[in-house]
Amino acid sequence: MTSYLQLNGISKIYGDFTALSKVDLGVEKGEFVTFLGPSGSGKTTTLMIIAGFEKATTGDVLVDGQSIAAMAPHERNIGIVFQNYGLFPHKTARENVYFPLQMRDQAKVQGLRKASEMLDLVGLKDLGDRYPKEMSGGQQQRVALARALVFEPSLLLLDEPLGALDKNLREQMQIEIKRIQRTLGVTTIFVTHDQTEAMSMSDRIVVFEAGRIQQVATPLDIYHRPEARFVAGFIGESNLIDAVVLDPATRTAASTALGVVEFAPTEKAIQGKPVTLMIRPEHIRLSRKPIDGRRNARMKVETIVNYGDNALVIGNVGGQSMRVRVLGADVVIIKEGDECSISWLPESVYLIAG
Amino acid sequence: MNRLLITLGIIAVVFVVAPLVIVVPMSFSNARSLQFPPPGYWLGYYQAYFTDMGWLRPTFNSIIIAAGTTVLTMILVVPATFALVRHRFAGKSFADVMLLMPLAVPHIVMAIGYYSYLGKLGLVQTHLGVILAHTCLSVPIAFLVLSANLKGFDRTLERAAISLGASPVRTFIHVTLPILKPGLIISALFAFIQSFDETVVAIFISGRDAATLPRKMFDSIRQEADPVIAVVSTLLFVLVLIGIVAPPLWKAIRVRMAAIKTAPALSTIENRP
Repeated sequence: MTSYLQLNGISKIYGDFTALSKVDLGVEKGEFVTFLGPSGSGKTTTLMIIAGFEKATTGDVLVDGQSIAAMAPHERNIGIVFQNYGLFPHKTARENVYFPLQMRDQAKVQGLRKASEMLDLVGLKDLGDRYPKEMSGGQQQRVALARALVFEPSLLLLDEPLGALDKNLREQMQIEIKRIQRTLGVTTIFVTHDQTEAMSMSDRIVVFEAGRIQQVATPLDIYHRPEARFVAGFIGESNLIDAVVLDPATRTAASTALGVVEFAPTEKAIQGKPVTLMIRPEHIRLSRKPIDGRRNARMKVETIVNYGDNALVIGNVGGQSMRVRVLGADVVIIKEGDECSISWLPESVYLIAG
Repeated sequence: MNRLLITLGIIAVVFVVAPLVIVVPMSFSNARSLQFPPPGYWLGYYQAYFTDMGWLRPTFNSIIIAAGTTVLTMILVVPATFALVRHRFAGKSFADVMLLMPLAVPHIVMAIGYYSYLGKLGLVQTHLGVILAHTCLSVPIAFLVLSANLKGFDRTLERAAISLGASPVRTFIHVTLPILKPGLIISALFAFIQSFDETVVAIFISGRDAATLPRKMFDSIRQEADPVIAVVSTLLFVLVLIGIVAPPLWKAIRVRMAAIKTAPALSTIENRP
């Protein structure tokens, strides 16, 4: 069974540097998939191989069961929004959107009408006659999106398109892109190094690290059930504790920092195996005195980072740095330098193999 | 202090501009040779210029040679610039240096070289000979202008065009060329001016049949100091002035026209009851 977009064993080798190694991935029709990873992790290289601007050293790319690996990029019918938009400065917004139709030899009147309709859809009804330099960053972004969608591409690729926008505009565009993508039902791949963007927009996230896919899962699975230490560290804030499994039956592991720790049910625990235990900062409670029925530890508070509605308390437990998320109202009870108690439930301790 | 600086500035400007301005009244002079201030004024030397084939032929020669030089230069420079700016290949830096060499070599040295070389080919005193020599001198200038433009060209635009379904050829026609147009025009203009202006090589190889305007002026001033030189200088000066003033003026007119076009639409909206 193959997916709508299928990557089979894609590798990319430059001299003695392996940029991508044996990437396999299936994306379903209409799905919104995010490639997430730090720069140099291979996410953009993978995107460029799908677009046809890079040639894979080995492997095949299939769309709807057909290999596109041998096709020139302009024959692939894939819409791309580039990081700096790539709008043609000598054409108006409408002419920019009309361009792909012009290249497909559509009649001018009909093509321009279709371009106007697409500009309506992205919320630029009256700005068709403006030149790119007369538009704001967000508006340019919308034009680029309209241009990449007007020819009904088989895939939409977005290469860090929100990187140049300020925070408020970025959130607005996230919602906007999601709305347009749902309206048209176009299969979309979104590349970003911003984990909140990935969490809020995607049906599934593909986490890249060092030229390999670390995990493919829904945003919630990625957050709560990371399969690799890298994924746990890269997505969201987390406390990662080195430990060794004592007994899979009693679900206990020994760590130098927290002593013997009980962890949530898992099939990955093998006796004597070194593992990583993950506790998310929002699953830890901060109190003056130990709380009954929970695992407790003493923590010396080192730094308090206040965000208004909540605060991040960073402290030290037996040489291990621990992060605790507390509600903004609760943070007044402690000061930097205080000793306090932190506590958690065994169900909040997630075991990551390796 | 401030007043002193302003005075110095004015003196410097006058000193630089004076020779330009002096030729204008001299062109209307009725003196028998170049003389300033002119004893009296008439238009006789303008009539002389526009009726004397001895002056008109070199003018046409100059235009033909400059145009030919421009075309040939651009045919060579456009592909060369793309190759040198966008690609890496063996001998690239050598090609770079060779292309710019004519800028470093004194024109008189080049001229002597062309004289004997083109002589062997039978091209001395022909338009083609002068065009070839001028092209060698124009290439580095046109290359410098165009490569600066091409280096600033955002290649994402080409990738965008290709992703939107444009073949490489159509990408070049619809995206690369229109965006580089100002650079190409300026580069061609520099090639044209370089040829139109060139005197040293022209004196050596243009001979009588292919004599260019600067050569004719040089001959004329050496032999008789004919005030027609002042006429030619004035005409060239005016031409250059138009060349500098026309583009911004044209732009201002277009903006005004666009404003007039949209204005009635606005007034009809306002007039609605």
